[in-house]
Amino acid sequence: MTGTQVQIAPTEAPTTEIRQRESLFSAYRTEITIALAIVLLALAVGSQVPQALTWGNFANITQAGAPLILMSLGVLLVVITGGIDLSVGSVFSLTGMVTAQAMANGFGGISASLIGLGVGLLFGSINGFLVTIAGLAPFVVTLITFAVAGSLAFIVTNGRSMPIGDPDFWLLNSGSLIPGVPNYILFCVVLLIAIEVFLKKMVAGRWFYAVGSSSTAAYLLGIPVKRTKFMAYVASSLLASFSGLLTISYILNAESTAGSSLMLQAIAAVVIGGASLLGGTGTAIGAVLGALMITVIQNGVNLIGINSFWQGSVTGVAILIAVLIDRFSKSRREAV
Amino acid sequence: MSETSKNVITVRGLTKSYGATSVLKGVDFSVARGEVHALLGGNGAGKSTMIRIITGATSKNEGDIRFFDSEGRERSEAEGRAKVAVVHQELALLPHLTVAENIALPHHRKGAAVFRRAVAAGQAYDALRMIDQDFAARSLHRLVGSLTLHEGQMVEIARALSSGAELILLDEPTANLTALETERLFAVLRRLTRDTGLSVVFVSHRMKEIRQIANVCTIIRDGRTVVDRQAMEELTDAGIIEKMGQVATSHAPEGAAPRPEYRRDVGSATDIITIEEAGFRLELLPGTVLGVAGAPAGPAALIEGLTGAARKKRWTVARAGWPDHLRSPRMAARLGAGFVTGDRAHKGVLHSLPIIDNVLASRRVTRGSLLTGRSEGAECIDLLNALKVKAASVWDLPNTLSGGTQQKLLLARWLGVPSRLLVLEEPTRGVDIGTKREIYQLIRQMAASGTVIIWWSTENVELLEVCDRVIAFDTEGRCAGMLERDDFSEEKLVSLTGMAA
Repeated sequence: MTGTQVQIAPTEAPTTEIRQRESLFSAYRTEITIALAIVLLALAVGSQVPQALTWGNFANITQAGAPLILMSLGVLLVVITGGIDLSVGSVFSLTGMVTAQAMANGFGGISASLIGLGVGLLFGSINGFLVTIAGLAPFVVTLITFAVAGSLAFIVTNGRSMPIGDPDFWLLNSGSLIPGVPNYILFCVVLLIAIEVFLKKMVAGRWFYAVGSSSTAAYLLGIPVKRTKFMAYVASSLLASFSGLLTISYILNAESTAGSSLMLQAIAAVVIGGASLLGGTGTAIGAVLGALMITVIQNGVNLIGINSFWQGSVTGVAILIAVLIDRFSKSRREAV
Repeated sequence: MSETSKNVITVRGLTKSYGATSVLKGVDFSVARGEVHALLGGNGAGKSTMIRIITGATSKNEGDIRFFDSEGRERSEAEGRAKVAVVHQELALLPHLTVAENIALPHHRKGAAVFRRAVAAGQAYDALRMIDQDFAARSLHRLVGSLTLHEGQMVEIARALSSGAELILLDEPTANLTALETERLFAVLRRLTRDTGLSVVFVSHRMKEIRQIANVCTIIRDGRTVVDRQAMEELTDAGIIEKMGQVATSHAPEGAAPRPEYRRDVGSATDIITIEEAGFRLELLPGTVLGVAGAPAGPAALIEGLTGAARKKRWTVARAGWPDHLRSPRMAARLGAGFVTGDRAHKGVLHSLPIIDNVLASRRVTRGSLLTGRSEGAECIDLLNALKVKAASVWDLPNTLSGGTQQKLLLARWLGVPSRLLVLEEPTRGVDIGTKREIYQLIRQMAASGTVIIWWSTENVELLEVCDRVIAFDTEGRCAGMLERDDFSEEKLVSLTGMAA
């Protein structure tokens, strides 16, 4: 093995003639644009309704947005690999129902939460298994689990809503592990940083982009394509599950339909954040900003007093604008 | 050292069949250390299948494959395969990742490890600069999706070099490279084989390149080895063609044979096609074959203009009855301006559609068909027969055919369609010598029926052989001049394009 092996003399990474990385501005161009758009939106709402720009309302927005932020981070992981996860809303609801039912049956808050997360693990594994081993299309697979988990969410309590049994359970959402910082903000920030660092700095994170970029090429390069996809679906379901726990901990009541509107919002957040549904692109910061933007829009629609039926239309226009900006700010050569 | 102990791989009696069709019927093949080995054979002879079996992408039926290390000891199959790298004909790159990541990511086997960009950039730079120092310095952090075809190829070759392979299989590596880049690549391969004992297997259909680079040659024909490890000096070009089994077609009439008489009787001004840019105007009579030579930038802009795909209005095409500007490829097609792309894998073949839909795609557009007709099956079979394509069924997917045969499917789209203008982008890329002759003949036939053919090729020789006129672009993409048939010469073309052929 020695001797004739082709060895390329290892040199220090060349420094002078090569840019080591792109500048922060160009790397996060999309994200900066969304952040500016959110600020503009908030100011626009504030000009109509002054109390929109108070700390109290900011707290409202983050509290209302936390579940969507967590779910979007999970969906992002799947979307980067070129897949889609339609089951997150159902898993969110089912987790809430199962956890509440477990507490009603005498489990403590922590053990009930673990059972709830088990729901996420189970459905994530089913999604991952059907996509990778059985080789079915992600859209079809998660459409199936969306339907199944959604119906199970009704079956658990026969459709009734279920109050939370453990009196200390509110601490999960509103307690402060770090004094002064409510847990829901802590969870969002920690997971945002963890996922962003994972995607950017870890080898396995780069695999997510490689698989979404071209799964055939990734396979030929010896990248574990199936394992990477499997991990993405499990992470997505677990985050949806955790997001469900956080929500019942906040409103102290579990509803079978709690997550039904969240799935489309999470996909919208990921797209607003600059990810392509064809895979290979997207950042955690972008997904979180996308989720925040949707929340700010909803909050604004409520505060201004527009009929809440308009929310969907306003969100739709926001997605359109975000995608158009993204489309035209990139070099036109790429457009086909 | 005995003969075998110098080998890095020995293949004996390899067979493989898919269902009833046997692709390999007993192939012998061995590669020694430090040699550049030309692997030759016609389209569908079984080269690609053998390579896939060596790399483990396909299983074999019978025969044995043995890998050896530098001491001549036998390696395990897994260990041996780890030392083999293939540069694929259709690029296997990750478009959303940077050049550095594409080259360095395979070095990272553990997902839990930190991906250190500086180290990755260093690894990628080391590999890439062996091919092109300048490109390496400029492009490490560009996204692969923004690279041109030939830049992508350089990245893929660099990745193979970087993987520490002892045997590199290059499946037509020069098909996408300019002459200058090819020369650089060859210099790299020569240096590596000499200094480090790297072995290179080189699949190409360009005889001149094979002569330039290869020491030894193996020819496969119809699933059997007909020439096993013969030194290149012992073989003549004619001998090689004969062994490949293409002697019959290679004697077909060439460009110098009867010129079409078409243009004389139909001299009417309405049939003239004029192509024009600022300061340059060219009138083409029906039946003209116009060659386009030079580095990709210029020809690409011309071709985009002629096919209605251009964003910039640099080139205009005019013909009586046509609008001033071709707004889309669809409009061009319906007016009878056809196009066969050179990027077969990405812009040509419709991979998920069966052969019949691939072949008839353009016809359906030009006819404006609403329904897929019942007569289409027969029509498709006629076209396939005319092009000597062997397929079990017109409902098979294109990926069941070899690369060269897929190229024929693209040509079949415009074969026999009454077109005014046909633009061909490297129609002979990745095609064996026998098929090339067939394609030249087809081009002349289509021209004789009154179609203006515009043909971009990076092989100057074939342009000079088949074309009536040649337009040359320099390396900056500017139009450098025109050559008429009477004063064709390779030297003139080389000096105009600034590229050696």
